[in-house]
Amino acid sequence: MLTHPAYARPETLYEALLFLKTHGIDTRPLAGGTDVMVDLRAGKLKSEYLLDISRLKELQGIGLSKDGLSIGAGVTISEIYNSPLVAKNAPSLIKSCAFFGSPQIRNVATIGGNVGNASPSADTVPPLLVHEARAVLASENGERTVALANLFEGPYRSGIRPDELLIRFILEPADGRFTDFQKIGRRKALAISRMSMALLADPKEDGTLGTVRLALGSGTPTPMRMEAVEAFLKGKRADRQTVEAGSRLMAEEMVRITGRRPSTEYKEKAVQGLFLRILAPLVE
Amino acid sequence: MKSNNGMIGKSIPRIGAIERLLGKPLFSADMELDHPLVLKVLPSDRHHARILDIDTAEAARVEGVVEIFTAEDIPRNHLTGIINKDRPLLAKNKVRSKGDAVALVAALNIHAAETAAKKIHVVYEDLPSVHDPEEALKNHASKVHEKGNLLFTRKIKKGNPEKAFEACAVVVEKTYRTSFLEHTYLEPDAGAGYLDPDGNLVIIASTQNPHYDHSELVSLLGVAPEKVRIVQAATGGGFGSKLDLNVQGFIGLALYHLKRPVMCTFTREETYRMTAKRHPLKMVFKTGADENGHLMAMTAKMICDTGAYGSYGLAVASRAPVHATGPYEIDHVDVECRCVYTNNPFAGAMRGFGVPQAAFAHESQMDLLAEALGMDPLEIRRVNALKAGHKTATGQLLNGSVGIDQCLEAVKPHYENALKTWLHGETDFAKQRGVGLGAMWYGIGNTGVQNPSTAHIEMDGEGRITLYTGCADIGQGSTTVLSQIAAAVLGISPDMLCMVVGDTAFTSNAGATSASRQTYISGNAVKNAAEKLADVLLTEGVDLLKRPKTDLMLENGFVVYKKDPDHRMPFSKIAARAAKRGIPLRWQGYFDPETVPLDPETGEGVPYATYAFACHVALVTVDVLTGEVTVHKIIAAHDVGRAIHPASVEGQIRGGAAMGVGFALMEEYDPSTTRSLKDYHIPTAMDMPEIIPIIIESSEPTGPFGAKGVGEPALIPTAPAVINGITNAVSARIYHLPANLERVLEASIQSGKFTMKEVA
Ligand SMILES: Cc1cc2nc3c(=O)[nH]c(=O)nc-3n(C[C@H](O)[C@H](O)[C@H](O)COP(=O)(O)OP(=O)(O)OC[C@H]3O[C@@H](n4cnc5c(N)ncnc54)[C@H](O)[C@@H]3O)c2cc1C
Repeated sequence: MLTHPAYARPETLYEALLFLKTHGIDTRPLAGGTDVMVDLRAGKLKSEYLLDISRLKELQGIGLSKDGLSIGAGVTISEIYNSPLVAKNAPSLIKSCAFFGSPQIRNVATIGGNVGNASPSADTVPPLLVHEARAVLASENGERTVALANLFEGPYRSGIRPDELLIRFILEPADGRFTDFQKIGRRKALAISRMSMALLADPKEDGTLGTVRLALGSGTPTPMRMEAVEAFLKGKRADRQTVEAGSRLMAEEMVRITGRRPSTEYKEKAVQGLFLRILAPLVE
Repeated sequence: MKSNNGMIGKSIPRIGAIERLLGKPLFSADMELDHPLVLKVLPSDRHHARILDIDTAEAARVEGVVEIFTAEDIPRNHLTGIINKDRPLLAKNKVRSKGDAVALVAALNIHAAETAAKKIHVVYEDLPSVHDPEEALKNHASKVHEKGNLLFTRKIKKGNPEKAFEACAVVVEKTYRTSFLEHTYLEPDAGAGYLDPDGNLVIIASTQNPHYDHSELVSLLGVAPEKVRIVQAATGGGFGSKLDLNVQGFIGLALYHLKRPVMCTFTREETYRMTAKRHPLKMVFKTGADENGHLMAMTAKMICDTGAYGSYGLAVASRAPVHATGPYEIDHVDVECRCVYTNNPFAGAMRGFGVPQAAFAHESQMDLLAEALGMDPLEIRRVNALKAGHKTATGQLLNGSVGIDQCLEAVKPHYENALKTWLHGETDFAKQRGVGLGAMWYGIGNTGVQNPSTAHIEMDGEGRITLYTGCADIGQGSTTVLSQIAAAVLGISPDMLCMVVGDTAFTSNAGATSASRQTYISGNAVKNAAEKLADVLLTEGVDLLKRPKTDLMLENGFVVYKKDPDHRMPFSKIAARAAKRGIPLRWQGYFDPETVPLDPETGEGVPYATYAFACHVALVTVDVLTGEVTVHKIIAAHDVGRAIHPASVEGQIRGGAAMGVGFALMEEYDPSTTRSLKDYHIPTAMDMPEIIPIIIESSEPTGPFGAKGVGEPALIPTAPAVINGITNAVSARIYHLPANLERVLEASIQSGKFTMKEVA
């Protein structure tokens, strides 16, 4: 049943931040609404106000500067998917957008909403993590920048303060390094990730792996980098034995962090499968 | 009547297609009534509980609330159900599942209705609940209904299987399980009602059976039959669930008491919670064959969970065992199916009535036997396929249309080609390809019971013809097919017919749109009516044209002398003359397939007058590292007797295959967690394989122009074909549907495929 929070649509970011300064605690920002509306219908949304930020220009735009690749929080999944700049600098993010929901969802869902919802299965987050993305947040007091990895507090709990909005993300460009994203769903479209993974790696001429960054979605309470596995792989040759050992370590790490639950029986294996699949192109 | 003026077998534009494209048809929820009240049902939130008190006082004070109804307000019989009456419109004394309707709010707007529903205070006393049918059959189990939890048992016995097993070269015994499924039709249940100027109750609803709705309303309200009129609205699918009284009873009750327009529209969540599901079955199958693959004997113990109410449970529990042999001749058979009440959501009709579940088991068994004997799966099916002259497990001699062998023959080149080339095509390192077969048979119409259809045809004084049928077209195109049949008999173009469909004030009972029965049964009833009218026209023509009847035919609205087509007489003249002479121009058609009730102990009898047959081939890829399955292609051969409208037949095959992919791979309704589409996966366009429909026409002598049916058969072979394909790919079998990520990955691990071996 739809309850009816009051609706407000500020014209500028400043107006929005002023509104949040007073009403932040009772307000839910509304971007594409693809999570908010679902919660509203299910009766899970208790906020007094919906603050429609979908038309704020300050949250738009994709650009490249010396800081990195900047993507506005209000940019839609479709816009990312169609951006040549993102294709060049963060191909794994493009891939996460290719398999995101359905065309209708992609046309309205935003990357800021994906991060803001803080779901363990948010598809853009593993790619953002391997690009060491930083989130720029603003409140009426000013801006702050946080490493995305430090923004999540738990499943569906982000560290965004009630008076803040996500403004943009800044990604370290791929710079020719290998990146990929893989996802398992219960069907081929409109499927929440049963598990997802992003990889950024830098295979050296001598056959060893340089930088390795691996992020896991839907395997841990919030998407996260799997640092122990990264450390294990770094400097090693990507031969079959190493990669298989890495896959087992990946599963152990996941279970260590998450604990055992009914879904572990599948995920413990699937995480290895996904790991093998994502590393296969690098295996000699 | 032989003439069919090219109307049969022609994919004429679907009646109403243009209107649908233009958004014109009136669905129940779009009805424009004068300030209608809206109805909201309060469902039980207990699995099993006594109702001690329902306090509606606070709810009644909500602004905009007009009335709140409970079981007390039902004027006559509060129990509903098409086969056995066990489901109260509103719960009386106790609730048996979380979907049971407890109270009904009528209010000026939806907000008031929802608010009030939340303020109804029901005092329950919980009773122990039972959720597993085997548990429910134990002595100590909590009784869902007074008379006990075993609703029905169907037995089929022929020969002596235990003895025959001894002589078999191979015997395979396995246990199969399926899950609850939700139909997920496009249009959630809805209806509207008002009083006509004579004070009659008019209910417009999304339904598969307006005449059943009518009888149920008369029973609930205790009013004269002519006081109730049910009109089928445009209906966005049903798949069996709209055979139950989902909203019609609530509308009737409110209308009866309040005498003002009302509407009742379920949300998707309400359809998920309060309407029927597909029966989950547990099936223990034992099948034996000789060294040549001839099936010698089979036994099966099946148990189906009908949840809190019977609905079509008896039909499912009858059909599943009758079809347990598959489309094969087996001399020694012993099958038993028990239908059991639990406190789960009630299960009812869903496309195939238990046969999709049974086919999953018998087709898995066929592949297991083939494997044990080192035979090709297609070959073992051909060896055993039913033929005219064979006897079924119920002792029925098949003598009409038996097209299973033609279906197997038709898929053979595709199957062999897939095995030879596609199977060995290049895949990425984690993928394995597989090819699977699934065959089926399906009895048209209800099982060993009368299920007649009637129709009326009428010519007015100017020669215009109107066909009246109670047959609900729920999107499958029956109205078009029936118009083709009548037009073929009368030698006119279908668009010259005026069709009056699904309105109890004007049409007579055509029975349910279910059991793939409307083309065959209502088609025959329509044909019968049209033939009577045609006979009058020809007879009158003799007088007017002075030619013998055998030399006359009907063409383009004329009675025509065959040898000189210019010598002819328009229908309008004949009609005018007949009217003058008092010869009736309104005729009733009737058809009831010839069946013999099944013996309660042995199942002997003739359950259906005719059967449809089919075989699908599925080409699948399995990701052995993640359990993901891709269905690439389905080749679907269906013996439909005669395709009256081939595009509709193909449409059914494609839609059936889609539903079959869902049944095979992803659909599962978990009563405790599934709330809506968010938690329930049906295939999307991206999940759909290429489908190659092949229509086989093994003409049925008793069918209208040879037709049988295809609605449910379309879905039945898909899941077995997909499952056999997965088995072929990963060398391990799945015995529990759906073959979801978890089960497929488990199978891959079991068979040692879960490795990185093949990485280059
Ligand atoms: C049918 C369907 C399919 C889906 N498929 C996928 C999928 O494949 N993968 C996937 O990851 N997700 C999927 N989702 C979930 C959802 O679409 C995504 O999480 C999406 O990115 C949310 O973006 P939005 O703009 O719609 O967010 P909204 O619903 O508007 O907001 C989501 C949350 O983020 C907050 N928020 C939004 N913008 C900001 C901001 N700038 N600053 C601070 N807080 C903000 C909101 O207050 C809210 O709490 C699906 C959802 C649906 C309904």
